[in-house]
Amino acid sequence: MRKAIAILLIALTAITGAFAGGSQESTSSDGTTTLTFAVWDYAQNVYLSKAIEEFQAANPDIKIEVQDTPAADYVTKLNTQLNGGSDVDLFLVKEADKTKTFFDRGQLANLTPYIEASGTDMAAYNGTDANFIFDGNTYGMPVRTDQYVLFYNKDIFDAAGVAYPSNDMTWAEFEDLAAQVTMGEGATKKYGAYFHSWNACVQNWGVQDGKHTIMDGEYSFFKPYYEMVLRMQEAGTAMSFAQIQASGLSYTDIFAQGQVAMLPMGSWLINTMISRNLSGESDVNWGVAVVPHAEDVPAGYTVGATTPICINNASKNKDAAWKFVEFLSGPEGAQIMAENGQVPALSGEGYLETFAAVEGMPEGVMEGLYAAHISPDRPAMDHVTEIDQMLLAEHQLILLGEQTVDEGIANMNANYARIMGN
Amino acid sequence: MTKRMPLAERMKKPGNKTLSERKASSLKRKNALIGYTFILPNFLGFAIFILIPVVFTLVLSVMKWDGFTAMEFVGLRNFETIFTDYRFSSAFWKTLLYVVFSVVLTLLASLGLACALNKKIAGRDAFRAAIFFPYVASMIAIGAVWKQLFEQSYGPINSFLRGIGISNPPGWFASTDWAIWGVIIVSIWKFMGYYMLIYLAGLQDIPVQLYEAATLDGATGPQRFFRITLPMLTPSTFFVFIMLTINSFKSFDLIFALTEGGPGISTTLLANYIYDQTFKYWNYGSSAAASVVLFVIVLAVTVIQFRGEKKFTDYL
Amino acid sequence: MMIEKRSPVKTALIYIMLAALTIITLLPLVWMLSASFKLSTEVFTFPIRWIPETFHWENYVTIWQKIPLALFTFNSFKLSVIITIIQLLTSSFAAYGFSKCRFPGRNGLFLAYIATIAIPWQVYMLPQYIMMQKMHLIDTHLAIILLQSFTAFGVFLLRQFYISIPNELLEAARIDGLSEYSTFARIVLPLTKPAMATLTIMSFVTVWNDYMGPMIYFNSERTKTIQLGIRMFIGQYSAEYGLIMATSVMAILPVLVVFLAFQRFFVEGIASSGLKG
Repeated sequence: MRKAIAILLIALTAITGAFAGGSQESTSSDGTTTLTFAVWDYAQNVYLSKAIEEFQAANPDIKIEVQDTPAADYVTKLNTQLNGGSDVDLFLVKEADKTKTFFDRGQLANLTPYIEASGTDMAAYNGTDANFIFDGNTYGMPVRTDQYVLFYNKDIFDAAGVAYPSNDMTWAEFEDLAAQVTMGEGATKKYGAYFHSWNACVQNWGVQDGKHTIMDGEYSFFKPYYEMVLRMQEAGTAMSFAQIQASGLSYTDIFAQGQVAMLPMGSWLINTMISRNLSGESDVNWGVAVVPHAEDVPAGYTVGATTPICINNASKNKDAAWKFVEFLSGPEGAQIMAENGQVPALSGEGYLETFAAVEGMPEGVMEGLYAAHISPDRPAMDHVTEIDQMLLAEHQLILLGEQTVDEGIANMNANYARIMGN
Repeated sequence: MTKRMPLAERMKKPGNKTLSERKASSLKRKNALIGYTFILPNFLGFAIFILIPVVFTLVLSVMKWDGFTAMEFVGLRNFETIFTDYRFSSAFWKTLLYVVFSVVLTLLASLGLACALNKKIAGRDAFRAAIFFPYVASMIAIGAVWKQLFEQSYGPINSFLRGIGISNPPGWFASTDWAIWGVIIVSIWKFMGYYMLIYLAGLQDIPVQLYEAATLDGATGPQRFFRITLPMLTPSTFFVFIMLTINSFKSFDLIFALTEGGPGISTTLLANYIYDQTFKYWNYGSSAAASVVLFVIVLAVTVIQFRGEKKFTDYL
Repeated sequence: MMIEKRSPVKTALIYIMLAALTIITLLPLVWMLSASFKLSTEVFTFPIRWIPETFHWENYVTIWQKIPLALFTFNSFKLSVIITIIQLLTSSFAAYGFSKCRFPGRNGLFLAYIATIAIPWQVYMLPQYIMMQKMHLIDTHLAIILLQSFTAFGVFLLRQFYISIPNELLEAARIDGLSEYSTFARIVLPLTKPAMATLTIMSFVTVWNDYMGPMIYFNSERTKTIQLGIRMFIGQYSAEYGLIMATSVMAILPVLVVFLAFQRFFVEGIASSGLKG
């Protein structure tokens, strides 16, 4: 009986294999090469479609086919595809620390020979490429950089008669300022500050100095920032964590509706706010300042992330793929990004000036984007995602008042040891 | 009509073998072949697309694998890893709590609803559709509505509780102690209509003659329910119980929409643990090992239920 | 047929309870409907505003312009119908084998069916994907059809209904000279209409609402389904909740139609199904 079933199974696998159809040819008879490019939120990332358009115009023999996935599931899908042996040619790595895992599995093409052949000057990337160098070779080219800045609502500051936040401000000054601009009660209350529910929105201020990372294992350096946020929650100058969680509101909505005066958030929000203003969904007058810093940390030290573009090692069209990588991460791509309100990873050539001139961009954005040092929000190390998730769990308990700051930090330390010990 | 009476009689006297059953045994071989032909079309697809991948998962539980490069046999190390993982043990006990309460309460609710909506009452179709509705409603809407209803300071549920004199109502999704109970309540609400359907279909299978005979014998409503409805619904209950148990053990997206496993890890259930290990941390060995634990529990529950069901089918 | 003397008090109680339950169960529908007429910034205001201040009817126009909703709906419909039909056919066959035929290994095989339900799909998704990649079926509807048509669920569900069909009935048919296949087709199938209706509803709803499967397997717009369409309004940094809810309302209509069409099989019951004779 078992034999019979086994034979049947083999036969069936053969049959199903047969209707699978021929192999996919990526180079068609007319000589054009089609590249598959995995991205997320294609419609919202206008710079991508513009870049692809220009690239195809310059390279008529190459066609880029976009594979779009919602942001929340992008990494899951990309990971499945790479593991499943897909020959998707190009992809952006959404959580840049995953680049290391892809490299460990041999799923990334080595770009160093291409970089050398084309004479690309890696120094122009200001060190943002460091996260994608493994064993001395580069496996990903930096495309865009996002960093934490301080968004503020000019209308609220004007109403309170208080000067706008400066680009050199300590967290203590920030706390004071938040108290000065908090006004109103109930549904129309304007909060001085808003810390989004992510653990990054408190813990970042601990790693901002460039000395600590979320992988330290000893987390007492978070303590002053948890104490500050709890104080502000208590004083009503920052919206409470419980309220943020229950409302389901996104930080964009809260800021765009003018409910908060100051919001430390990633520079990606600039683009969203511009489009909200232009479409009339929001009439908030807003500005961007450098994120506050600790007493002993200079202004301009912030946290951020760089998104790289990589070539799949299983791609059959690596040479053509490199052409697009070079285009998107190079001057042409950087120019397109800047024109569309996205900060490119590549520095120089007045990209920031172009960026600041985009319609709807607030004044002083260039100064607000000043960065003396950008610490990666998640260093490219093993178990980063797991540790980050663990930190989030303890973060929630601290801000809900289910445990004290000291208990929370003790739990973080203990859980770090347990997870890394496994 | 004549055929019905022996059935009703034999329900009282189990274990009688009929002539036809003895006859059937002589046709065993032929019957076996026919049996295989019935199963084959489904089994082929099932074996290739589900059974093989599942077996692969079982194998994976004793392997170290990054999802792409070669595997390495590691014995029981994955099990050791999860059994010493504080997140796994937390998820395990929370899951048991969740399963026990949501299975029992959902089962009772769906049975009660099915009996109520099997009667000829005005607007029955509309009631049925309404009760089934939470099952098909969009997860985003479900998450948003219940988060707002359970909000601790201004939410309608706590306002109501304060109104009836509870001065310090629970914090629900903002409390590690109460969040799981919020999830259980929403889960009953979401799934009772789904299992009601199965009971409704099962109720249609009960021969009306049984009730007529019982009524003639002077049986009361509750007697008819416990002596006829409930026993005759055994196959449905078996199905509902197994599926509820399995689905509760696998319950995942509801929690994702309501709490994302928080606050802390207080509503992280086994399925969320497995999801995190697979999709977030890419620890394929751990997720396979955790699945095997789930697999063993469900198998045990099923076999016990199976025995009970066998007793029942012997009546027929 | 079921003659029960119910007191008016009891009837009233049942109605009150059902009405209360109905109100609670319909809350998300009301919320969705209301949100579908709002701007995305108005959706989450607190306390809940059940009736929008101004009705933004244009949400229902925008969704058709922003994404190819007609194509997505068609794809969802195609997949749901094909998979439901295959499930009904093969599951009813197999369920008959598992409940009314005797052969060696029957119970073991059945247990294997149930046991697979216990494994979360996410865990064996990767081997399935590798298989589909090797068969070059990625980004085709066939991939999802093959993966979702042969679930153990349908077999299990129908088996439970077939079990309660008295064996005497089948014996009688066999004695009358009907083959096993005709017995199945002429006796069992007509008797289990409620069960088939249940499976139809459940299978349709499951495929229609599935998000993860299509998300993993479908890459191009041509193959995508309505659930993927809904997510297109959710970006990394913001979501257009008004449009999401408008699309969700559109997505729920076909499911409700299927439910209402098939639930009528739960009222006829034994009386009309021929068991009487």
